[in-house]
Amino acid sequence: MEDLGTYAENTWCPGCGNFAILNAFKAAIGRLEEQGIGRDRIVLVAGIGQHGKIFDYMNVSGFYGLHGRSMASAQAIKLANPDLKVVDFVGDGDALGEGLEHTIFAAKRNADITMILHDNGVYALTTGQYTPTSARGYRGPSTPTGTVEDPIHPLPLMLEAGASFIARGYSGELEHLTDLMVQAVLHEGFSFVDVLQPCVTFNNTWREYNQLVEITDRTATTPEEARAIFSRTDRLPIGVLYRRDDVPFHRRLYEDFNPVRDKEPREARQRRVAQFLGVPEEPEREYKGPRERP
Amino acid sequence: MERDVFTFIVGGKAGEGVKKSGSVAASILADLGRNIFQMDDYQSLIRGGHNFSVVSSSTGPITSHHLRAQLIVNLDERSYHLHRQEVAEDGILVYNSDVMSEAEGIGLPMTSEAKKFPRPDLRVGVASITVLAAALGLDMDYVEEVIAREYKRDLENNVAYASRIFELARPKIGGRFPLERGNATGKAIYGAEAIALGALAGGLDLYMAYPMTPSSPILHFLAAQGRPFGVHALHLESEVSVANMAVGASFAGARVAVGSSGGGFALMAEAFSLAGMMEAPVLFILASRSSPSTGVPTYTEQADLKFAISVGHGDFPRVVACPGTVEEAFYLTADLLGLAWRFQSPVILLTEKHLGESAMNVSLDPFRATWAEPVLHSDVGGGPLSTPSLGALEPAQEDGYRRYRFTDSGVSPLLFPPSSQVIKWNSYEHDEYGITTDQPEPTARMHEKRYRKRQAIIEHLRGTKTVNVYGEGGPVIFSYGSSTMSVLEALRTGGIQATVVQPTYLEPFPVWELERYRGSNPIVVEQSVAGQFSALIREQAGVSSDRFIRRYDGRPFEPSELAQQIKEMM
Ligand SMILES: Cc1ncc(C[n+]2csc(CCOP(=O)(O)OP(=O)(O)O)c2C)c(N)n1
Ligand code: SF4
Repeated sequence: MEDLGTYAENTWCPGCGNFAILNAFKAAIGRLEEQGIGRDRIVLVAGIGQHGKIFDYMNVSGFYGLHGRSMASAQAIKLANPDLKVVDFVGDGDALGEGLEHTIFAAKRNADITMILHDNGVYALTTGQYTPTSARGYRGPSTPTGTVEDPIHPLPLMLEAGASFIARGYSGELEHLTDLMVQAVLHEGFSFVDVLQPCVTFNNTWREYNQLVEITDRTATTPEEARAIFSRTDRLPIGVLYRRDDVPFHRRLYEDFNPVRDKEPREARQRRVAQFLGVPEEPEREYKGPRERP
Repeated sequence: MERDVFTFIVGGKAGEGVKKSGSVAASILADLGRNIFQMDDYQSLIRGGHNFSVVSSSTGPITSHHLRAQLIVNLDERSYHLHRQEVAEDGILVYNSDVMSEAEGIGLPMTSEAKKFPRPDLRVGVASITVLAAALGLDMDYVEEVIAREYKRDLENNVAYASRIFELARPKIGGRFPLERGNATGKAIYGAEAIALGALAGGLDLYMAYPMTPSSPILHFLAAQGRPFGVHALHLESEVSVANMAVGASFAGARVAVGSSGGGFALMAEAFSLAGMMEAPVLFILASRSSPSTGVPTYTEQADLKFAISVGHGDFPRVVACPGTVEEAFYLTADLLGLAWRFQSPVILLTEKHLGESAMNVSLDPFRATWAEPVLHSDVGGGPLSTPSLGALEPAQEDGYRRYRFTDSGVSPLLFPPSSQVIKWNSYEHDEYGITTDQPEPTARMHEKRYRKRQAIIEHLRGTKTVNVYGEGGPVIFSYGSSTMSVLEALRTGGIQATVVQPTYLEPFPVWELERYRGSNPIVVEQSVAGQFSALIREQAGVSSDRFIRRYDGRPFEPSELAQQIKEMM
């Protein structure tokens, strides 16, 4: 999958959990192609942060959006052309801080996009401040004596918001993570993948995760079951933890219509406007060239 | 020769169907072949308070409401007191005798008659238009026709009620205003509808908004009427989302527009810069309300001009234009959508409540609307799934697609996913392929590429109409936006000869058309306490002046008052 890389210089720290996410996605694209989803149909969207650099490192089409707002842009890419498979790589500060509103609404709508959360519990790019998922007491440059806030738990949050596919992966389990990404992209509806991503520079959690992470095959199909899995603190189960079939946003809006593909040509559209206005219609009316304004 | 302006005012509480009565009155006057102008005045509340609708009409052109009315129908007591001074000499004031006694004018028991039917408070609006029809000398058969057309719901009761009111009104006012018929053509539409229809005729695919008066009518119109056109209007979670979604939709090839008013547009500012950086073609519609912050939500002003031309961080080109009439709003919206796609830039259609929520009959030719088309890269891989639009094709590049290819015009050919080529849109500074960079040379070159588009836009605008000039001789009057309609009507009302100059484009500012007015010391008419427009023409085109007419109480200019002010300055 070498051709999936670019000439951009990789500036992640050696040992960063982001590498596994990048490599898993490259492998996932290969697997998706085997299943008939060509890389030309995949659009990579990214938020702003260390995680977002994946945009520069992947040789696929993409949209490097604003901090916290890439969730909104990703939904619209899907709405404009539902034939595309949209995968949004976001940070925990990005998607759960600045962009929480859009994350919740994407889940609420069951937008057919995949959101991959690089969950490192820290604002890495801006040098180590606490994020919405940092543990209480986290010390960073903006909270030198420790944050007094409790963390947000993204899995139950996404469940209540309405996500139809909820998974957790780990940067230390590359094969497993690849498989989660493939399933998430294939799922029709809002797919949320929380990736436990150690940041060796500001929040090194490799050792802790290596002890706690446990691969599970158990996929909840009801919210109650899912809550039971999410609430475990002794172990950190990874896998597809919850899944439900539901009609995605673009189909609720317009079934199989595709605004870009199914657009009517100029003649037809302007004729409709003329009809609406009751403008007398000449048959075979031709475009008369630019109008001269009075 | 005296102009034959006939004005009808209906006033009442919110919830009494006042605006609807105004529209129906407009359709009655339009049935007589008269040109009409309707303005709705309402408060930001759902029940109670005071609403009124003014419909002025003439056999000749008319571009403003008049407040001196021949016929005023007041459904409640407050309206009676607020409008009684507005009755023209030989005009008639009709009041609801059930809600007040001992009033001047003609009382009709609108409420007690309505109480003979279910939902009486919803019915009084029908009384107002029945009174109008009677006063115009039209017969009950015609009133029935109008009711069948406009008040379909609960038709029988409405007709029965109207017949009672008609019988009571006819002996008192029947045929008092035998109006001359005209030969006006065109459907009466609101400015907001003209904007929405212009966007439809220009190739719109998606409209996104978060409700905010006075931009909401565009959202409502497209939500209700868009589907047969294949156009979907989405009400999203916030203006922040709206603007970021719009940029995303344009990446995928959809022609997209968004709309808001001051506070909501302020929230779009970050994504406005994103559109500038990504070179995303997005049409932003900014419908101004009155005053800063939440302001006076349902009233009008022109104080967002400087905000519109300077919104966003960092240098990048944009286009800002403001329609002067309902007719211009239609064509200009399509033009702007086209400019957005031609130059891959964010563009702003700046307008105001007064234009958006005033209706007039206009003759439009949708086949003359600009159609939004991009310059496409010729390698459109991906087969039939690619965008069907056929813009001019650029030759394929041997070394792969470069989204931000350096060109003389600054415009790089577009390509949409799915494509065999890699397409990268980047909010960070980037190289030609769209990969992030912070190096000095590529940063400077990309800045220059983007900024070259401003010159390309100017060259394009030089070949089009950017300034409307009405009349000749007399003093020069500068105005823009909906104030232009007020000025033109004031000139007709006051019999004043003048040259009205209305720049439609505000950024890039058409200095090439305006420099000739240097030294003309124009009268500058605008709705802004700070005089943003007079400052703009002075700063940009060197046209300075010491004659200003400004209004900033949230109300549009009234033509006879404005005519008086202009005369005093001449
Ligand atoms: C509106 C806005 N506010 C702040 C920033 C600065 N900023 C850049 S990255 C970042 C935090 C990134 O943290 P996270 O999303 O957790 O990603 P990570 O770097 O950890 O991958 C912030 C605050 C910005 N780019 N835009
Ligand atoms: S700072 Fe943290 S997140 Fe960023 S590359 Fe280094 S280890 Fe990874």
